[in-house]
Amino acid sequence: MLRRCLLLLALLVPLAVPAADYRVGDRLPAAKGAAKGFKEIQWDDLMPKGWDPMAAFKGVDLNRLQDSDPKAAELLAKVRIEWDKAPVEPAINGQRVKIPGFVVPLERKGDEVIEFLLVPYFGACVHVPPPPSNQVIHVVPSKPVKGMRTMETFWISGTLTLQGGDSGMGVYAYRMNAERVEPYEVKQGKKR
Amino acid sequence: MNAAAIRIDDLAFRWRPDGPLCLTLDHLAVDAGKSLFLHGQSGAGKSTLLNLIGGVLLPERGRIEVLGQPLGQLSGAGRDAFRADHLGFVFQQFNLLPWLSVLDNVVLPCRFSRRRADRAGDPAVAARRLLAALDLDATLAGVPAAELSVGQQQRVAAARALIGRPEILIADEPTSALDTARQDAFIDLLLAEAKAAGSTVVFVSHDERLAVHFDQKFALTAGAPA
Amino acid sequence: MSALLRLALASAWNRRLSLGLTLLAVMLAATLLLSVERVRQAARDGFAQSVSGSDLIVGARTSPVQLVLYSVFRLGEATNNLGWDSYQKIAADPAIAWSVPLSLGDSHRGYPVLGTTPGYFVHFHYGDRQPLRFAAGVAFTGIFDAVLGAEVAQRLGYRVDDRITLSHGDGGLPGMEHEDKPFTVTGILAPTGTPVDRTVHVGLAAIEAIHLDWIGGAPVPGFAIGAEVVQKFDLTPKTITAFMVGLHQRGEVFRIQRRINQFADEPLLAVLPGVALDQLWQTVGVVEQALQAVSWLVLAVGLAGLMATMLAGLNERRREMAILRSLGAGPRHILFLLMLESGVISLLGCLLGLATVTLFAAFGGGLLADFGLAALPLAVDAAEMKLLGGVLVCGLLVSLLPAWRAYRLSLADGLIPRS
Repeated sequence: MLRRCLLLLALLVPLAVPAADYRVGDRLPAAKGAAKGFKEIQWDDLMPKGWDPMAAFKGVDLNRLQDSDPKAAELLAKVRIEWDKAPVEPAINGQRVKIPGFVVPLERKGDEVIEFLLVPYFGACVHVPPPPSNQVIHVVPSKPVKGMRTMETFWISGTLTLQGGDSGMGVYAYRMNAERVEPYEVKQGKKR
Repeated sequence: MNAAAIRIDDLAFRWRPDGPLCLTLDHLAVDAGKSLFLHGQSGAGKSTLLNLIGGVLLPERGRIEVLGQPLGQLSGAGRDAFRADHLGFVFQQFNLLPWLSVLDNVVLPCRFSRRRADRAGDPAVAARRLLAALDLDATLAGVPAAELSVGQQQRVAAARALIGRPEILIADEPTSALDTARQDAFIDLLLAEAKAAGSTVVFVSHDERLAVHFDQKFALTAGAPA
Repeated sequence: MSALLRLALASAWNRRLSLGLTLLAVMLAATLLLSVERVRQAARDGFAQSVSGSDLIVGARTSPVQLVLYSVFRLGEATNNLGWDSYQKIAADPAIAWSVPLSLGDSHRGYPVLGTTPGYFVHFHYGDRQPLRFAAGVAFTGIFDAVLGAEVAQRLGYRVDDRITLSHGDGGLPGMEHEDKPFTVTGILAPTGTPVDRTVHVGLAAIEAIHLDWIGGAPVPGFAIGAEVVQKFDLTPKTITAFMVGLHQRGEVFRIQRRINQFADEPLLAVLPGVALDQLWQTVGVVEQALQAVSWLVLAVGLAGLMATMLAGLNERRREMAILRSLGAGPRHILFLLMLESGVISLLGCLLGLATVTLFAAFGGGLLADFGLAALPLAVDAAEMKLLGGVLVCGLLVSLLPAWRAYRLSLADGLIPRS
């Protein structure tokens, strides 16, 4: 009887789905992964030097601004226009890099993900301003990835390329054919 | 080289290491081809002695030799094989597997022992011969054993014990479930066939009146040597 | 050894009633476990592959799951429609490469009708970026043309050039037919294994046309506009149910999504189909896990029955075991026999359960079509083999107790049980 209880318990434990303890807007800490020929980069590296999307916010005390204040809406609109421009960093084109982020699966084959987007912070599609397009990587993994759910954290490693759309607006975006897609785990005891 | 089929010296057995001695025996020997009548009150350790001779149990002290083979020198599996090859058993009741036919029950030992199968020749033929010798109708061969009367079942059990001519035949109160009138007839049939096969017979019973049929007699008393 | 095995078989046959009942219990448990797993897998695959290649799905503001359910799976209904003008404005965004409007609400003999543009057949993809293919015929050109999904054509026996009429709503009520405006089947799609198979596709103009002489959801008596006359009217739709969007750059999706969600003219919702499906799956996942837990409990009950039967029968079998011992079997043979019996029952139970599920998958597929699922897979996959292996192991574990007890009894009884 005891044997069977233990067996049942062992089966039920994986059902307690582990939730990522992230809050909206959280970014991933700078944990070091073994690089193996890939240069580890940060999300800031994807923005050209000198481009500051938060320029509109300079000199404004955000804490004193109410949500309903027309100034806030104006600021937000300004920021959005800046962010819409989202220029890319050409120097990074063709580099073999490794970067961690939160995933948004786009296409699935059965239970496996064959195409996804990588974004820098948690909840990128819900409550915070969407990431500008130079902070989004369109990833096509070389092998379908098992067990990937929205807003889980992964390392991707591969060659980063720039892709132009035919929108006629000259908008470019980052793309990677990822050679490796590995879960990102924060090791215990690491300082944030 | 002694002709003792079974030889027991200085035997002592207890069930639990901290419990009382349940059987002690100084010396017992049965010559090959002879018959032994073993008697004693219930609780004297008759079943234990049969288990010891059968190699199912090992004594705490002492030496048991069957057909010259000291049982203590064999492993558990070895004793099981030895039992299958050389010993035939008849119990007081429920000897047979009720869902097998009479014939299938009789040939069972040949399935478990190569030696007995060889000595029987064609097991089915040998089985029928034994059944006939034990005064059983040939038509009963295909009948499920459960449908037989007690007396018939005991005789089928005897046939099973004798097939393949094992050197030793052990009978544990085989007549206790039979009417008095049939008891003598059964014993006569059994001993006749055993003699024909050259088997040594160990016959256990609490009824001393039956002792007349047998060559040797031995009394077991509880805990102390006879 | 083989003598022992044959005896074991005969012994089990002798006890076939009680063993048969425990076999039934194990078989039912295995069937349940496998069914839950297989339906779960098929539903997961079916859901995941129903739409591909679309960056956003847009509809009137509602919950993301509901939007995906009605626009992709044709389950449930939209709470509201969105205006044609809004659609035009949004579709004009330079970041959008293509868009396909969708209009739902009518049906044909129980199958949903989708009003859309010919672009649907170009841009709609499913599974692993598979495009739609025509098994026969072509897309619609005239107003009253229709393209049928594979299942609609097969079940109702339609061919190209057949004529059909549509019903308003889900067609349950009499008088809701648009019989004065029959449609001609111009094309039949190849099977996709998605809700596309169950859909009748017509042009947007056709949806407008059949509702021209209807007001408020019912035909106006005495006011009928014939099929030949409709061409004279402006058949641009006023509202649509939803639309699909494809972008030039997939990475722009968040920006466009945000823009649509904050569209000033009317409340809209734009969802990433993959994300909405994940959300749906999380909700369903809880039910899924509960079902699995129940299945394992059923197995536990079945195996408890097996163990109880074996333990209860031990006493009666002590004579049998003593006879076997006198014939030369050892206590370990007895142990082995009991574990073998339990193992065989578990194995048979698994195999019979698998057979039952396979039969059901082969013949019961129709039941699932109502839920937007295609047929269940017939083959066993790795996850199911693991489940069955688990059942087998549990069966063997359960036999340990009775087998051990039998072993001890046999040791103690020897040749002469004291029962």
